[in-house]
Amino acid sequence: MTKPMTKWIVPCLVLGLAGAALAQPSPDDARKACTAAMNADPKFAAEIVKTADEAAALRRDAETVAAHTDAYAHVQKNERHVILAYAAMWIVAVGFVLFLWRRQQALKLEIVHLRRDLEAAALEAKPAEPRT
Amino acid sequence: MSKLAVPVFTVLAAIGIAVSIYLIFLVTPLQFGLNEDGKLNGSSLFFNQKIFYLHTAHAMLLIVAVVAAGVASIAFLVTRNARWDDIASASVDVAVVFGVAVLATGSIWAKAAWDVWWNWEPRLTLSLLLWLILVGYVLVRRFAGPSADRIAAGMAIFGGVGTYFLYTMVGQDSHPAAGGQGVVATLGPGMRGAFWLGIASVACWFVALVITRVQSTRAERELREIRERGLDLGVLQ
Repeated sequence: MTKPMTKWIVPCLVLGLAGAALAQPSPDDARKACTAAMNADPKFAAEIVKTADEAAALRRDAETVAAHTDAYAHVQKNERHVILAYAAMWIVAVGFVLFLWRRQQALKLEIVHLRRDLEAAALEAKPAEPRT
Repeated sequence: MSKLAVPVFTVLAAIGIAVSIYLIFLVTPLQFGLNEDGKLNGSSLFFNQKIFYLHTAHAMLLIVAVVAAGVASIAFLVTRNARWDDIASASVDVAVVFGVAVLATGSIWAKAAWDVWWNWEPRLTLSLLLWLILVGYVLVRRFAGPSADRIAAGMAIFGGVGTYFLYTMVGQDSHPAAGGQGVVATLGPGMRGAFWLGIASVACWFVALVITRVQSTRAERELREIRERGLDLGVLQ
């Protein structure tokens, strides 16, 4: 007894859902119905306009946030280059100071050698010791 | 030259650069120019603009160093006084170092702002050529033999003249212009203090380096002359 009934349940459901879908108004019909309703009721019309304005404002805010996020991304992205540039300046400066320091050391060494050479030359040219 | 000059200028430079860095990173504003549609426009100055302050300071003092070397070289060729040659040589040494700083920071900034490391536009190309002339000067002094000082002096004069074109060169290039309508003249009020303090501090650093280099160049030359005289007199071997 129950078996023939269950056999018809699925087709009935499918037909029912299809019918409901077909009963939905088309977008054009919906627009016409909405316009008619707005014309009939100014309060309803004002509410619809308000809702639309709020949606547009939210969209504009989202674009502003996106612009700032973009700027922030630029800031983040370029931090690496700023660090690199400042590091380059410091490396160049420290390198030159090291170079100057090495030149100073070489100069001091040169003075030591010169002094030693002059002392050696002075010893060689030393006059004979005075007689007693 | 007072013995105090180098320490005084170095301390001034250190304090000035520390304060400049504080101002650059914590006080000077960024600028976000937005079009009517809310999109960022070309006048925006992002974080990479922080490179500008000391990059420009080094570039300005590079020009000063090359002009100083050119003038000292003219004086040397006219008077044949080696003291002028010492000043020219020291200025070029410092200019080479500042040139490295300018080219390196400029290249990094170009990557951040234009997304290219190098661009063969007039100002950048001339900067590189000027730096190569300075390197040529150093190589000539090192390897050109007895007449090196006079050849090098000619090169320094050539470089000094080149700075005029470097400063005034404007064209269809992306590099910001110098002069009355240039980027320095049109800086926002919130940026001027940090910029000019940066210039003054790097100038102190530059003076300290040039004085140190002049002193060591002079000492090297005098030592060389003493040794040559000693050899000539047969006192030294």
